[in-house]
Amino acid sequence: MIVPMSRVRIMGPRDRLDETLVTLQDFGRVQLDRIPGDGDLRAAATSRRVDRDRRALRRMLDDADAAIQLLAVPAGPEAAVAPARSRLAEWARLARRCRRQAEALRAREHALADERAVLGRYQGFFDAFRVLLAELADAQHLRAYGVMLPASERARVESLADALRAELRVEVIVTSRTLQSGDIAVLIAVPVEARERMERAFGAARIAEVPLPAGYADQSLTEAAPAILARLDEIPRLVAELLDQRRVLAERWGSELRTIRASAADLLSTAAATDLSVSTAHAFVIEGWLPRADMPRLQSMIDQRLGADLVVEELARDEWHGAAAPVVLSNPRLFKPFETLTSLMPLPAYGTIDPTPFVAVGFPMLFGMILGDVGYGLMLGALAALMLWRGKGIWRSLGQISLACALFTVIFGVLFGEFFGTLGRALIGMQPILFDRENAIIAAIVAAVGIGLVHTMLGLVLGMLTSRGKPRIVVSRAVQLAMMVVIVLALLSAVQVLPSRLFGPLGMVALIGFPILLFLEGIIAPIEFFSTLSSVLSYVRIMALGTASVLLAAVANDMVGVFGSVLVGVIFALLFHLVNFAMGVFSPTIHALRLHYVEFFKQFYSPGGRPYEPFRHGEPRRASTRGIS
Amino acid sequence: MTVLWVPVSAALVMSVAALATAWAQSRIGAAGAAALAEKPELSTTAVIMLAIPETVAILGFVVAVMIVLRGGG
Repeated sequence: MIVPMSRVRIMGPRDRLDETLVTLQDFGRVQLDRIPGDGDLRAAATSRRVDRDRRALRRMLDDADAAIQLLAVPAGPEAAVAPARSRLAEWARLARRCRRQAEALRAREHALADERAVLGRYQGFFDAFRVLLAELADAQHLRAYGVMLPASERARVESLADALRAELRVEVIVTSRTLQSGDIAVLIAVPVEARERMERAFGAARIAEVPLPAGYADQSLTEAAPAILARLDEIPRLVAELLDQRRVLAERWGSELRTIRASAADLLSTAAATDLSVSTAHAFVIEGWLPRADMPRLQSMIDQRLGADLVVEELARDEWHGAAAPVVLSNPRLFKPFETLTSLMPLPAYGTIDPTPFVAVGFPMLFGMILGDVGYGLMLGALAALMLWRGKGIWRSLGQISLACALFTVIFGVLFGEFFGTLGRALIGMQPILFDRENAIIAAIVAAVGIGLVHTMLGLVLGMLTSRGKPRIVVSRAVQLAMMVVIVLALLSAVQVLPSRLFGPLGMVALIGFPILLFLEGIIAPIEFFSTLSSVLSYVRIMALGTASVLLAAVANDMVGVFGSVLVGVIFALLFHLVNFAMGVFSPTIHALRLHYVEFFKQFYSPGGRPYEPFRHGEPRRASTRGIS
Repeated sequence: MTVLWVPVSAALVMSVAALATAWAQSRIGAAGAAALAEKPELSTTAVIMLAIPETVAILGFVVAVMIVLRGGG
């Protein structure tokens, strides 16, 4: 449900505004709101000095935030404090210094990581020729060159030697190794005097020398190889040193940075709250929203801390009629996890209906109708238990939702007589109580459309409740509801469930509804009505997906007798059941959600709610809309 | 002759409905992927949007079943 809110007005002597704001921040449940200036009332004026101070606070908060993030400072218990002005300047310098040091450390870490990535590309080559390169380094009369060839050009190694000898007319040593990647590393050694002609020789052989990385480009291959390998050995040690420096910094300044961050955030949110107050020469007024149930606590806290100088009054509903009160959702423990599903939609507007309780009942039921299998239900239940056991936060909520879905899946599995598809019938003689989904397709269609009809009609009733105060819309929804009932009765008489002579009169009654809809809401109403009818038909997907699921399960069971070997058949059947289970969890989730979001919600849901952002300690203007208790 | 046309009609209905769904989903999927690159928080909306055209395939399936059951195929 949407928590009823109160709009509160607090008035008092102007010189007590600051301590009032501190009290409200400690209370942490009031969302302050702008009030229009009226007569002598005017918003608090800001001076250049105040603006400058706020910019400095914002910079300090940014610096502390960045330093905490870069130094990986863990969360701590530090709370905001009210510092003296001189202390603030000290904090600003400290936050800036910590940020710069942290950024410098991070930049060096990145530079070392980049260097390691670049040099690492040469490691395979140098490792392959480590001994040979050491020997060539001693042979002053030879100069070494490195070449890489793709695996497909292995045959070129021999012809390469011949081509170089022909071009240079000197003895050439060519050695090759196959690297882990499959590429061919080739080491070429030629007499020093042939160095000038090597570029032309490479051109003639249509190959390119492996370029050495920047910083080593002026060295020969035999000089660069040991230097690069030594550097590669050194980099992890340097990275460890940097991490150590970062840890020392975090330990030294972490606590202070957290205090700076909390205090700066508090000061900034207090400054924003001051802007929302209005005042005369002697008095101030602030207004805000809070859950109605918190009103007595606020009153007593202000009385206790600030005495009788302050007036706290709750504004009557007609004084703020039309104003957008913030929306806070509050649901019983059983329904609370389903707020995860409704939170995927925009917040409902204040004064309308929170769809969470309806989703909490409808979603697992539709899911269970689609999957409807005792075996799959038990598997899902086990998965849900695992999520509840190990999961936290969102995973715990998903575990609770999955448990509800598993329960309905087992219930409908019993009603449809399914245990891993047809296995229950073959093994333990399970029989369908409602109908057999594999064969009774018409019955499944009728059941699905029937559920759709009930769900859509519930949506129309909720739409009437949401639109109270707009009589034309309420009457239009009622007419649509009546027309749907009449159309259903006409269809039942057409298939002779009801006497067939009723078909004509019922059809006439249904037709009378159209001019009434036209009169009430114009051309849009009949179009909406047809759209509502198509929404009902959309529920037929419950049958389609369910039938597909049971047929796939039956195919999995049939695999046991197909492969000759029972063991192989059972393994394939299990794998197929696993795939069907995965599909059977994903597909009903999407379609049950879609039936709620698209078909059900459109009958009554009014988005546009304003998030609840109470004035409290911590981040300035942080939204806290769901899960109030 | 009717015996031949019943399964052919059912297959035609199902395949045209499936192709139409596939075409619509390809367009929505491409747009959804582009939107997700900009706003990853839209992932659930994108998946729901992707499921919307499946109504066509599902209704095609229902019509095909009707053809088979009523036509005696």
